[in-house]
Amino acid sequence: MIRKVLLGTCMSLVALAGPVSADSSTKVALVPGGPHPYFTAWEQAGMDAAKDFGLASADYKVPQKWELGAQNQLLESLVTQGYNAFLVFPGDPVGTVGIVDELVGTGAVAMALAGCLRDPSEAVFCMGTDTGNSAYLGTQQLLKSLGGGEGRKIAHFTGFLVDANTKLRIDAVEQAATEAGAEVIQVIADIDAPEPAEEKINAYLAAHADEVDGIITTAWVPAVVAANALRKIGDKRIQMVGIDHDEVLLQAVKDGFVHGTMLQNPYGQGYIGSFAANKLREGCTVKADAPFKSNALTDKFIDSGTVFAGIDDVDDYVTSMQSITKTLFESFESTYLDC
Amino acid sequence: MNNVSSTQPPTSDAMRLEDESPPRTGSSRLGPQLTRLLLSNEFGLLALIILFSVIFALATPGFTSSFSLFAMGRTAAVNIIIGFSMMVVIVSGGLNLSVGSIGVCVAMAGGWLMQVAGVPWYLGVVGALVLGAMIGALNGIMIVKTGLHSFIITLATMSIFFGVMIFLTQAGSFRELPPEYVQFGRMKINGVVSPLLIVTLLIGVVLSVFFRLTTSGRRLLAAGANPDAAELSGIRVDRTIILCHALSGVLAGIAGLMLVSRTGAAIPSMAGQLGQDWLLPAFLGPVLGGTLLTGGRASVLGTLLGAFLVTLLTTGLLLLQVGAFWVQTCLGLLLLAAVLIDLSRRTYLARHNLI
Repeated sequence: MIRKVLLGTCMSLVALAGPVSADSSTKVALVPGGPHPYFTAWEQAGMDAAKDFGLASADYKVPQKWELGAQNQLLESLVTQGYNAFLVFPGDPVGTVGIVDELVGTGAVAMALAGCLRDPSEAVFCMGTDTGNSAYLGTQQLLKSLGGGEGRKIAHFTGFLVDANTKLRIDAVEQAATEAGAEVIQVIADIDAPEPAEEKINAYLAAHADEVDGIITTAWVPAVVAANALRKIGDKRIQMVGIDHDEVLLQAVKDGFVHGTMLQNPYGQGYIGSFAANKLREGCTVKADAPFKSNALTDKFIDSGTVFAGIDDVDDYVTSMQSITKTLFESFESTYLDC
Repeated sequence: MNNVSSTQPPTSDAMRLEDESPPRTGSSRLGPQLTRLLLSNEFGLLALIILFSVIFALATPGFTSSFSLFAMGRTAAVNIIIGFSMMVVIVSGGLNLSVGSIGVCVAMAGGWLMQVAGVPWYLGVVGALVLGAMIGALNGIMIVKTGLHSFIITLATMSIFFGVMIFLTQAGSFRELPPEYVQFGRMKINGVVSPLLIVTLLIGVVLSVFFRLTTSGRRLLAAGANPDAAELSGIRVDRTIILCHALSGVLAGIAGLMLVSRTGAAIPSMAGQLGQDWLLPAFLGPVLGGTLLTGGRASVLGTLLGAFLVTLLTTGLLLLQVGAFWVQTCLGLLLLAAVLIDLSRRTYLARHNLI
């Protein structure tokens, strides 16, 4: 399924990109915070961007573990290897500012991808999912599936507390629930890894499944684990909205154990980010009046898009994401860059 | 280097001080000083550092660039201090699993003092390190009072310290720090040397003096080698345990404050969840350097070289573009190779009656 997404998106964007430009000296490194399935789409995105835009390379480089120090060390080694454009998921929105500033100090272009740095930073902009908005919309979809929020009780499973996005997600879910008259009776955080997610979600549902009407998950691993747990329970009474496009989750949507999922756009982030990095290295500048959005971390935010996929859309979600990526790409240069 | 596996009867384990001579197995054709040098962990580590440096320099063109050398030195500086913070507890025969947690607590306290309380950076550093000493001493006091192994106590306090820190800071960070403090972590001396590395070397010298020349240091070694014998000889073992944990807290705090200077911010995630990211460097440096896990022997130079070797290998492997998920495997294999090479070196010397 993931390959279908990448291939489909790739083919459509090749047509958009038009003829390949002259070979560029731009060497792009797409660097996530650590190994995580969300980022795997960046690898194909980089390869496609290198081919479509004539980049010297656009390589997906993963720190061997999810550590700020490991990411910093990898970034430093990439400078030594001659990379001159960095698309970085910040290991920490504040802690990564220093290394990004140093990267820019070497003459490289740097941007935050999939997660933002806290302003001020030398990153040209941040492109990613509006996490708060995604969580808010997802909760609304969940409450809609429950026939309204009044008196409903929902549980929220989310990512690491040290990730600033987690607080945004918790607040957004709380806001959407409160507005609809629902109650968030449990937030379980720090579980965006298989072991803690399995342990805590299964333990919670074993003890409290009867008290819960719905589940919202706002991180990849908890979404997968919760989908599996609901399949095991099997009564389909508890509604759930997940996040991202793991095959387990998508199958659970098809089988009716999960109401739907909030899709993000990692491929578009990597592809368009590589394009923008090359343009900036070729002399383009970011428009002074570029219509950036603001979030809790930065005033230079570009929403890479999010969309809800329910049982009717899940087979065709590729088209939905292609549409978002196409729209963003077609107008990206004219909207955000002066070339 | 492979002292982890060297088990000795309790009686012969006593007072294995840093300047102890290795056992003699035959007539020596070399002078005793040279023999001792060739048999030392430090010599083996130094030889490996030189060997791998040459390999990486030949295999990767960027390895000897000023940026690479600077970055490697800066990373090593922090890893070495983390190793020291574990070493001073291992010397006592204990462990401190909360080094990362303490380091983050001190870093956050330093950030709070500089940003919120508005104190000058040097007072912020001192105040934060005092907190580190207090937290470390708290570990020591609990170990002494309960009689439980330090593994259990520090496993618990690792979560407690980190949890309290997260509660107090709400996972927020401090980045409005004095520019001169932040600049210190990014400064380059002659374009290559990080001042953090110089600080680390100075601390290494201080620790060497502490263990070799001060009464407290010798008492700590004695208490670690054989607590009962040390107690009988008049050493207050409980006090030395509290002292070494306080010292560990200070050193962990120094590592945390170095990272604050290097990243330009005090952040709760700087050592990962519960500070666990520091555990591997905390153990690798001392263990490779020849510090006995059973206590009683400390090698400051060995810890320094061991931590530097690990940093060197990691940097070299990254520059060789070894697949991301193979770096850890290669690092483990290279470390194993390093241990075996060291063993071969000793065996060769013994077989040729060079010792």
